[in-house]
Amino acid sequence: MGVGGLWGSDLIAQRPEFFQVMKSPFSDEEVVTVKALRPDWAIIHVQEADQYGNARILGSDFQDVLLSRAAKKTIITTEKLVETQTFQQEPKLTSIPYFLVEAVVEAPGGAKPGICFPNYKTVDDTGMKAYGQAIKECKFNEYLTKVIEERDAK
Amino acid sequence: MKYGPAEMMVIALAREIIKSDLVFHGLASPVPMTAMKLAKALGTDFTYINITGGVDPDWHKPAVVGSTLSQNLYEGGVANFGLEEIFDLACNGRVDISMLSLVQISPRGEINMSFVGGDYDKPKVRLPGGAGSATLIPVTKKSLIWKTKHDLKSFVSDVAFCTAKANPNNQFRVITNLCIFSLKDNRLEVESIHPYSSLEEVKSNTGWEITQENLPYTDAPSELELALIEEVDPNRIRYIEF
Repeated sequence: MGVGGLWGSDLIAQRPEFFQVMKSPFSDEEVVTVKALRPDWAIIHVQEADQYGNARILGSDFQDVLLSRAAKKTIITTEKLVETQTFQQEPKLTSIPYFLVEAVVEAPGGAKPGICFPNYKTVDDTGMKAYGQAIKECKFNEYLTKVIEERDAK
Repeated sequence: MKYGPAEMMVIALAREIIKSDLVFHGLASPVPMTAMKLAKALGTDFTYINITGGVDPDWHKPAVVGSTLSQNLYEGGVANFGLEEIFDLACNGRVDISMLSLVQISPRGEINMSFVGGDYDKPKVRLPGGAGSATLIPVTKKSLIWKTKHDLKSFVSDVAFCTAKANPNNQFRVITNLCIFSLKDNRLEVESIHPYSSLEEVKSNTGWEITQENLPYTDAPSELELALIEEVDPNRIRYIEF
């Protein structure tokens, strides 16, 4: 698709598989075009979802809505499972409708050590460091076990 | 009142914002965030958008963390306007100011945010990349590039990779801890030097030749500007970048 910006960037020549310059079909202008990305999967964490995959993003949505449209299949993880009626009452609050969604996982605290606004509003710095360290040392499973143990102990 | 580079840079950025501007900053931007709050406190009537999607968040509430992805930049806002919409808005020519940073910059306004050392596919250091800069700089009416460490590593005659390039038809300013550059005829020229610095210091920290002489000093911060910075940033989040 055509996009604005990017003029003068070495990225265009560096990544011809993603960027191409073409003549506009509507005028003599040149247009930078970007290849559409089609991920196989999107995994998106939300505040509320029902069992069919209808999902609400109550804080910043960043590229999550876009991702759900681009991906071939989407998995929703959610802080809380709610009734479908909740969505029927306020359909305009539905960020991702069920027909885009392959599976729903109830995962409270699933965005930690990051943020899931407004459920938890600040980054857990200690948790973030522990996560980074675990990744560096290829000890993700140990990290995960510890996080789950700590959560269940509460 | 005493001040240093953090206050001078915040104030220099805030002074660039004028009535009815629509102004954006992204991630990891404590200095621009403080500048936005200061401009609001000074009474400038402008629209503050940022990477969280918050539109005109409540600027009275001081930030408590350096992250500009925090609720502080979202709460109290009047709308949610996501990043992809902000990019479209900019491509539509409707973003007046974008505040962005750099890892390396050349005198032609070429910014490297991609890599240093090695090559693109096998870099010595991989940098954050240029989604924001490459897209926004060519289409924003006025790009304000801030850099808290003006030195020979960053201000270079040639960049290793040009992630984003200044648009010579738009305004492009670089605000550092030492001075303010402005792009004129496709070349960065020193516009003013901060009162506590000197032409000598700017020259010795810039990797290209500066032939200009008798340059003016940046207007020193006013008592009001300094008092309002303390009011909007009592936790001194602005110092995180220094």
